[in-house]
Amino acid sequence: MTEGRTFRLRVSFVKQGRLAMLSHLELARALERAVRRAKLPYAVSNGFSPHMRIAFGAALPVGVGGTAEVCDVTLTSYLAPAKALEALQAASAPDLMPFDCAYVEPGAPAASAAFPVGVYEVRLSVAPERVVVPDTVTVVRKRKEKVLEVADFLCGPVEAEGAVLRLALESKPTGSLRVDKLVDACLEATKAAGCLSPDARVASITRIEQRENC
Amino acid sequence: MIPATDLWPRIEPLLAAVERPARYLDHEWGAVRSPEPGDDFSFCMMYPDTYELGQANQAVRILVNAVNAAEHLWAERAFLPAPDMIDAMRAAGVPLASLESCAPVHEFDALGITLPHELAATNVLEALDLTGLPLRAADRAEADPFVLAGGPCAFNPEPYAPFFDAIMVGEGEEMLPEVLAALREGRAAGRPRADILRYLAAIPGVYVPGLYAWRATDEAQAAGSWAAPGSGAPAMVAKRVFEGFAESDAWEPCIVPFTEVVHDRLNVEVLRGCARGCRFCQAGMMYRPVRERSADNVVAAVLRGLDETGYDEVSLTSLSSTDHSQIASILSRLNRECAGKGIRVSVPSQRLDAFGVQMAQLVAGQKKGGLTFAPEAGTQRLRDVINKNVTEDDLFSAIDAAFAAGWRRCKLYFMVGLPTETDDDIKGIASLAQRAYDRARAAVPADQRGNVKVGVSVAVFVPKAQTPFQWDGQIAPEEVQRRVDLLRRSVKYRAVDVSYHDPKSSFVEAVMSRGGREVAALVEQAWQRGARFDAWTEMFDEQAWRGAAESLGLDLAAIAQTTYEPGYVLPWAHISAGVSQRFLARERARAAEGVTTPDCTFDDCSACGVCPDLGVANVLAAARKAGGEEPAPGDADGHADDGLDDLDDLDSVRSERDAGANLWDDWDDDLDEPADDEGGPR
Repeated sequence: MTEGRTFRLRVSFVKQGRLAMLSHLELARALERAVRRAKLPYAVSNGFSPHMRIAFGAALPVGVGGTAEVCDVTLTSYLAPAKALEALQAASAPDLMPFDCAYVEPGAPAASAAFPVGVYEVRLSVAPERVVVPDTVTVVRKRKEKVLEVADFLCGPVEAEGAVLRLALESKPTGSLRVDKLVDACLEATKAAGCLSPDARVASITRIEQRENC
Repeated sequence: MIPATDLWPRIEPLLAAVERPARYLDHEWGAVRSPEPGDDFSFCMMYPDTYELGQANQAVRILVNAVNAAEHLWAERAFLPAPDMIDAMRAAGVPLASLESCAPVHEFDALGITLPHELAATNVLEALDLTGLPLRAADRAEADPFVLAGGPCAFNPEPYAPFFDAIMVGEGEEMLPEVLAALREGRAAGRPRADILRYLAAIPGVYVPGLYAWRATDEAQAAGSWAAPGSGAPAMVAKRVFEGFAESDAWEPCIVPFTEVVHDRLNVEVLRGCARGCRFCQAGMMYRPVRERSADNVVAAVLRGLDETGYDEVSLTSLSSTDHSQIASILSRLNRECAGKGIRVSVPSQRLDAFGVQMAQLVAGQKKGGLTFAPEAGTQRLRDVINKNVTEDDLFSAIDAAFAAGWRRCKLYFMVGLPTETDDDIKGIASLAQRAYDRARAAVPADQRGNVKVGVSVAVFVPKAQTPFQWDGQIAPEEVQRRVDLLRRSVKYRAVDVSYHDPKSSFVEAVMSRGGREVAALVEQAWQRGARFDAWTEMFDEQAWRGAAESLGLDLAAIAQTTYEPGYVLPWAHISAGVSQRFLARERARAAEGVTTPDCTFDDCSACGVCPDLGVANVLAAARKAGGEEPAPGDADGHADDGLDDLDDLDSVRSERDAGANLWDDWDDDLDEPADDEGGPR
């Protein structure tokens, strides 16, 4: 169905406000529907159940927002990026708003693999004296407990400025450490060390940048 | 008044710990953001189950739109949170909130709850309790919101009667805005609540339970009704029909949910009503007359809807979409318009013949999942009793067509416990399913026969109000089990899989379906004992219901299982679906004799009484033909693999159906009851 030349449009968008609460699957469906509403000349896959050719960036956990999220839509004809952006914006909810469109080379890495490093901003309800980062984080995956070494994933230190923390995490081909799990573990360790009020909680987590390297 | 409190700051902190928070967020595409200037009367439309079920409900969509379109009225949605969220809200002392403005439901001027099925009653109380309002209408204060109901269960409203200020019977497009306008006026004039409710009772279709005293059995039988009307209340409340349905735009604004809901697609209602006249079917009686929207209306609505929602699937909804007189041209036109866009068109409620399969094939593309057919009964005798006008040949021609066209799985729906059912009928289910399997295998290339699967799904017959089988009792759960066991023993093929619905909840369904006002106390007690989400198999708590019945001294088996003579006055005698009790009794008598009654949209009038009683008529976009619509010239052009090129299969089916179709001639000979006062054949 999509013989001939195609064009890969990388759409950058925000996931914010209460829509940070969407799961990756819910986000994916919402983006697909926005592309349809925007009437972009999207390509459709071949096969038994034809569907839109759209690829999503690295998944965010439920509750984590992003101000630099990406997805790639394959188009069957060239559309000026500004036009595509305008159409998408008119078809998007304010808290899932696209802010940039640009074409990427057909051979470029997939949106999900292009940026292994995510930079996160974490807002706490109360400022900690200092942040204690635990060496390991125990996560439950498929009902099995797994112990992850924080150093394998964390790029650089966890910086704190008042109640705002900043950290970068790198995902590995073998897996990744979920930012919300790491933040929970840091809060627990920091509280245990007496460096944070016991009723402090996470106000928000936002991925503010995605990049290739640590 | 427009509610002012915003509960979001109290709800948001609860969301981190609950499943699927997306259902509590609002902000979906298409959600209405704020009231119009001049809106001063607020209405909250609630579905008594979770967002996943409620957001997909068409009544919610239609009614919220209708209210928002009316002057001065502002409508929002609310759903029952999932159990984890309910518990979190109770623990935090947060009341039930609407979605759009996240306002406490008790701050609205009126609350409407749709009653979609018999197992939602405890959820209604759970929802009311979460709002903080008194459960019983009699206990509500002057300033409390009016609590209204509507939906299918309004056709026997008594098990819900004490909980509602008013119950609307029939279609709400016009009735609900009228009711809300009347409430608004009454409130503006400062009238007492009781006066306003008396005034409501004068609006056609509105039942105000508090104005009716409940009679004892003997008195009810003598009076012809259990509900004794007080001053100003009509003795009989007849359902409302939205007469403008056929001409009204099939497109209407809809909300695109973030989280996956049931039927998560664009739903376009192509027709309303079904006159096939299956004698167990409440929907078939409730939504008469039949009204079709034109092909132009439907196609335009689908295209606009896909544009505005971004959905990749559209479903043409109704009780029997493949009966639409223009269905083939609708589907062909949609296929052409949607080609290459990855859009799926689906038609639920498959008609059981080769034409139905042709239509399924038109939209299936290359992906063919399973097809579902509902023969309902295993023998021709019993299918005649229930007026399921489908023969074995219809089923087999459908199977032949489906499996030759590439389907490899089909599911057959049956009921057990239908009136007059014998063990032979149960064995007939096994026999029919196995022969269907043989036919399916024969229609498939030899190397693919291993993939052929036929499923048998069995539900327990639940007698429904306003149907010819309303006088018939349900069989006891132990008898259901015996018959299901017999069926399972009778099925010898391993490739034919039998599944069945839990008879324990079907028993409660029958109690709710047939009970009178005394059942309301049962619902309240069962809820107090922890029953909620009864329709969720894993949540159904039989003990709560049994315990409640015991403490109240109610004989549930008698309510569910007693069979009465037609003529016995039932607890919903004061509610009318337009279909006359005479017609229902006559249909019950014809059932006993195994005589079928034709569908008046294909054949002669069957004198059900709806058209003369309600002053309405069937509205068809074109004449219906028994074997399905002739494709318009040119429809098949360029669609060689759409299946329209082998219409030969249809001819044999068509002639068989025509042969036995016209039964009107021997109508009065079969039964000694003249039909003249029903509007009869003209």
